[in-house]
Amino acid sequence: MDPSLYLDRNTWVHRLDPRTKMLLLIATFVLAFVFLNPVYELVILALVVFFGYLAKVLSNLRRIRFILIVIAIFTIIIWFIFGGGNLGGVIYGISIAIRIDITIIAGMIFLSTTRNEEVAIGLVRLGIPYRFGFAVSTALRLVPTIASTGLTIGQAQRSRGLDLDSGNLIERIRKYVPLLVPVFVSTIRSTNVFSMALESKGFGASPKRTFYLQPTISWRDGVVLAVLVALLVAAFVLRAIGFGG
Amino acid sequence: MAEPVIRIEDLTYRYRGQREPALDGVSLEVAEGEFVVVMGHSGAGKSTLCVSLNGLIPHFFRGRMGGEVRIRGRSTREGRVGEFAREVGLVFQDFEAQLFSTNVALEVAFGPENFAVEHDEMVRRVKEVLGQVRLEGFENRQPATLSGGQKQRLAIASVLAIEPRILCLDEPTTDLDPIGKMGVFEIAEELEEREDVTLVIVEHETEETLDADRIVVLRDGKIAADRPAREVLRDVELLEESRVMPLPVARFFKERGIAIEERPLTPQEGLEEFKRRGWRVDAERHQKLVAADEAREKDYGEPLIEVENLTHRYPNGVVALEDVDLTVHQGEFLAIVGQNGSGKTTLVKHFNGLLEPTEGSVRVGGVETVKQGIRRLGERVGYVFQNPDHQIFSDTVADEVSFGPRIRGLGETEIEERVKEALAAVGLEGREEEDPFGMTKGERQRVAVASVLAVRPEVLILDEPTTGLDYAEQQRMMELVRRLNESGSTIIIVTHAMWVVAEYAHRAVVIKDGRVALSGTVREVFSHEEELRDLALRPPHIVSFGNALGYPVVSVEEMLQITGEG
Repeated sequence: MDPSLYLDRNTWVHRLDPRTKMLLLIATFVLAFVFLNPVYELVILALVVFFGYLAKVLSNLRRIRFILIVIAIFTIIIWFIFGGGNLGGVIYGISIAIRIDITIIAGMIFLSTTRNEEVAIGLVRLGIPYRFGFAVSTALRLVPTIASTGLTIGQAQRSRGLDLDSGNLIERIRKYVPLLVPVFVSTIRSTNVFSMALESKGFGASPKRTFYLQPTISWRDGVVLAVLVALLVAAFVLRAIGFGG
Repeated sequence: MAEPVIRIEDLTYRYRGQREPALDGVSLEVAEGEFVVVMGHSGAGKSTLCVSLNGLIPHFFRGRMGGEVRIRGRSTREGRVGEFAREVGLVFQDFEAQLFSTNVALEVAFGPENFAVEHDEMVRRVKEVLGQVRLEGFENRQPATLSGGQKQRLAIASVLAIEPRILCLDEPTTDLDPIGKMGVFEIAEELEEREDVTLVIVEHETEETLDADRIVVLRDGKIAADRPAREVLRDVELLEESRVMPLPVARFFKERGIAIEERPLTPQEGLEEFKRRGWRVDAERHQKLVAADEAREKDYGEPLIEVENLTHRYPNGVVALEDVDLTVHQGEFLAIVGQNGSGKTTLVKHFNGLLEPTEGSVRVGGVETVKQGIRRLGERVGYVFQNPDHQIFSDTVADEVSFGPRIRGLGETEIEERVKEALAAVGLEGREEEDPFGMTKGERQRVAVASVLAVRPEVLILDEPTTGLDYAEQQRMMELVRRLNESGSTIIIVTHAMWVVAEYAHRAVVIKDGRVALSGTVREVFSHEEELRDLALRPPHIVSFGNALGYPVVSVEEMLQITGEG
């Protein structure tokens, strides 16, 4: 299994400055949270997915479609139950569900179009110390790595007879111990080698640091930011005039 | 004489929490441009020596250090690791864990970035070192998608880009297939020719150390020998005492009573010496060996695993296996060999139901695996994964080993009996209450085997059972597997270690690009040296030696048996 989320496609979205992409991500979150109306949320969702289509990274959404669907169904059911069991509750639930899925999808598109190294550079260019930027990009890298180790460990334990699909909830949780302990131990071990390798490659040796990647701001970043500002303004104006409450 | 680039004076190091020092009074000098190989058993202090070269000891590890390590005259105590990183490039054994970038070029650029190398220079270096390790054209590939050998070469490149004058590689070929190993040694050879690069390599494959200037043998933290390579390699007694695999040709001549100074090292040298001494092969005795192979084959029981027209396609469309036919009989000892990515592991994962055939069928005990399920199959086919740390999770050895029987609902007395039996089989009797995480890698490997044995499977599959173990541990592991086979278990091993195949397996199947390329008794398969070379496999020295004499043998012992005076 390919443990990385980044998809190396040559699109203008990929070539955007990492700072622009970070702003895009934050702005999307803001847009999704400005108001709660199923039609509005659907429009934002459509925009986000269209953006992902332009970046040619929709294949990554297929990897998480199960999570997206489960979250959506759960949210709708919960709001249906706690929202009084009427149509209003369902509609509210649908809005919330789309909102949550938008944040996940937007995050996924961000990670599919931005290298971990670019995240670090973006943060550095925003004035954040490199060590912090590097920590963030390492954390992003760690998640898929752990997932792929988990896959191997799952096969090893299933070969020994572990069956995760039976028993009640508590029994099932207990069954994860043979998976989690080796995942934990292997991760610690490899993290140890990782930090030694970092030191041995001179991490932090010099106060100054150069970068191999040199993302530059182009007119495209300008256009994207302009569209973004327009969308944000439109959303806030709509809200101000009371649309959708 | 010029100042040595590495000067180690009476170095002693004890890790915190350990009673014994990892290194104990080691003194060593390495001159500029030298190529030094370090050998020794597990825990002899080889890796400790490596990490003391760039200041990880004393700065990164916790422990007590005595003595001094000087790199170009400067004590490692006096500077940070980052400062020494410019002088000493260190590549760790676990190459997976040291690659972290999203593409090959960025991986290589990471070091120069840290040293604030200018962009143009960085681009030049990336191009240059990728050429050196033969990864040009891979700039945009993700490290995770590379083969083992390529990953290791990338790890080396990422260190070379800092342009260190001293390069230290810690067991660079441990996890690699023969092709991957060759690639790494080619790089080492080229670096060795450069007079401004000093090379220190920790290696356990004795056959690969012939080109070194010097070999340093470590034993229990002390230097047991520090002499020119050929001198050390001739000294079979020294290597055996140090639990390092001796060269088989040298060992053959040693067993024949030849003095240390007169022992040849390579198959070619051996052949000349053999003829010069007027020794002969007793054809009749060799015929007996071949007859014994045939007799053994007739003794096998019923077919246990039957693979017919097996094709496996992964969800991403990659065809991992194509039209494979294979039958494994009860009582066999089968070795599956081939390059990384050839489909070996994919094949054996069909035997216990982890994978299902895309086309064709796999039957175990006459019944399709698809109809049996992993859990039921697991009672007949045990599978020991390569890395014991991917399965051990319990606080005590007994808990770990009893996992399989317990999950299958056996009674407490039965479980206890099986744990005892399994631990006795792997030579860990009486250690039920120990913490497996505190054991050595060799011991953890045996715990993993015991935990599979406790279910009493008929077939035991072992994926790379000797990786990461030293010679004595490898022998111990394989003797255990042989005993299990002799007491009735059917054994299937997947391995890159050719000497293990030669010495222990009965039959070998070579997989190439998802197809069976060669199959037969180990003796037959290894006698096709040319074809093996085309498959990027190389038989062990002793086999080549026998082949050159016209009598295929699989071990030094066999060679001794068939040799007579002229």
